[in-house]
Amino acid sequence: MSRHERSDKKSLSDKPKWWDTFPWWGIAIVAILSWMGYQILTKDSYDLAWDRVIPGISITITATLQAFAMALALGLLAGMGQLSKNVISRNLARTYVEFIRGIPILPLIFTVALVLLPQLQNALGFKLSFQMRATVTLAFIYGAYMAEIFRGGIQSIAIGQVEAGRSLGLSRRQTMNSIVLPQAMRAIIPPLGNDFIAILKDTSLLSVLGVLEVTQRARQFSASTFKFREGYFVLAFIYLILTLGLSLLLGVLERRMTRDDRNVRSGRGID
Amino acid sequence: MISIKNLSKTFNKNIHAVQNVDLEIAEGEVVVIVGPSGSGKSTVLRCINRLEVPTEGSIAIDGVELTDPECDIDTIRAEVGMVFQQFNLFPHLTVMENICLAQRKVRGRSKSEANEMTMKQLLRVGIPDKADSYPRQLSGGQQQRVAIARSLAMEPKIMLFDEPTSALDPEMVKEVLDVMLELASEGMTMAVVTHEMGFAKAAGDRLVFMDEGMVVEIGPPSQVFESPKEQRTKDFFDKILY
Repeated sequence: MSRHERSDKKSLSDKPKWWDTFPWWGIAIVAILSWMGYQILTKDSYDLAWDRVIPGISITITATLQAFAMALALGLLAGMGQLSKNVISRNLARTYVEFIRGIPILPLIFTVALVLLPQLQNALGFKLSFQMRATVTLAFIYGAYMAEIFRGGIQSIAIGQVEAGRSLGLSRRQTMNSIVLPQAMRAIIPPLGNDFIAILKDTSLLSVLGVLEVTQRARQFSASTFKFREGYFVLAFIYLILTLGLSLLLGVLERRMTRDDRNVRSGRGID
Repeated sequence: MISIKNLSKTFNKNIHAVQNVDLEIAEGEVVVIVGPSGSGKSTVLRCINRLEVPTEGSIAIDGVELTDPECDIDTIRAEVGMVFQQFNLFPHLTVMENICLAQRKVRGRSKSEANEMTMKQLLRVGIPDKADSYPRQLSGGQQQRVAIARSLAMEPKIMLFDEPTSALDPEMVKEVLDVMLELASEGMTMAVVTHEMGFAKAAGDRLVFMDEGMVVEIGPPSQVFESPKEQRTKDFFDKILY
């Protein structure tokens, strides 16, 4: 009842108060980051941790970019493979995706990087650096996640679009490339961005293989100096800066895409 | 020009959408297919450009057998225009791009050739000023006319219409039917599934009445309307308003 009474006095169409829509969370994040940054800048013990951890950032970033690029290619391949007419590629893709999705990342990293890839190297006679093996492993895992994103995006396009393309005489491939994929990208890009950030965070798992990215460096620093607080404090700060920066960037990209395609968005209901 | 023999289509092994349909459509003929919903009329139409693969029987267009696994279906489809109930314009492309796409990729026309043909067809359907619009900026009737222009730009030998006015607001039905009437008068071979009996009377050379997947009656529209031979046909026309 009290709900009704209140809405009697306050019309639903009332403009929300500025404090209701203000991004307080942004202020909170900035405050936390500033506080962390202040600690690191002013305290000598943090200074030391910073100097020891920060060289790993180039490996973290390189591994993220490489793993993302490879996963993208793998994901597109496996995603299209699952929708293929060919029974072999369809089942190969499905096996890959289900296998990877059924096992947690950590055991997969051990298995792929320490067993599968070395054996493959011996059998096929190529040689990857240790870091590259770890990166390929991460790409292999995320490729399976992305395959599902691609498949879902492609399947979200109404069948009528394909029928219209095919009935004009376009081939399967032409219809996919000119009609389905460009529209599917709108559904695909936001979750791909999420995976981009997830990959960045999951490069920390490469530390278990001994890759000298930021987490491994923080672990080494903490273990050798017993300054656990400082080591992991600095580590958290670095990850926060990286992930927040990346998500800001992706937000801009996403907004730009939706602005260009406002036509498309509202057109979906009609078409 | 189109020769359908003993066509049957079964979905999920037990839904008999179309059963033993025989139909010949001559060049320049306008055949209108009517019937209650679920009678298989759309399925017959969709079999003509193999959007549905027939379970049995054969369909030949200009003597080329569609059910032959060796036939190049993309080449045949380029000669058979199709207009859908839901328009199916490409929402990420402008009207111009919608109409140019297949001309460029299938017909191999240059950009200027395709643009010229596009403007010619847009003029024909009466909306040359909408070339740079996106589909969502157009009314339903305008969208359907763009869809017709998109098919016509391929210079097809046959046009298939699958309930082209069923998704339109009432005030937009006429603008689409007018385009179709004009097309019929120009001698285009057309197969039209519709509930617009006025169109059937005005433009149809023959009317096909279907029910439960089978052709019940075929004849000149006026005869089928006014003195149907079959009781089922009579029942159907008694129930609908036109």
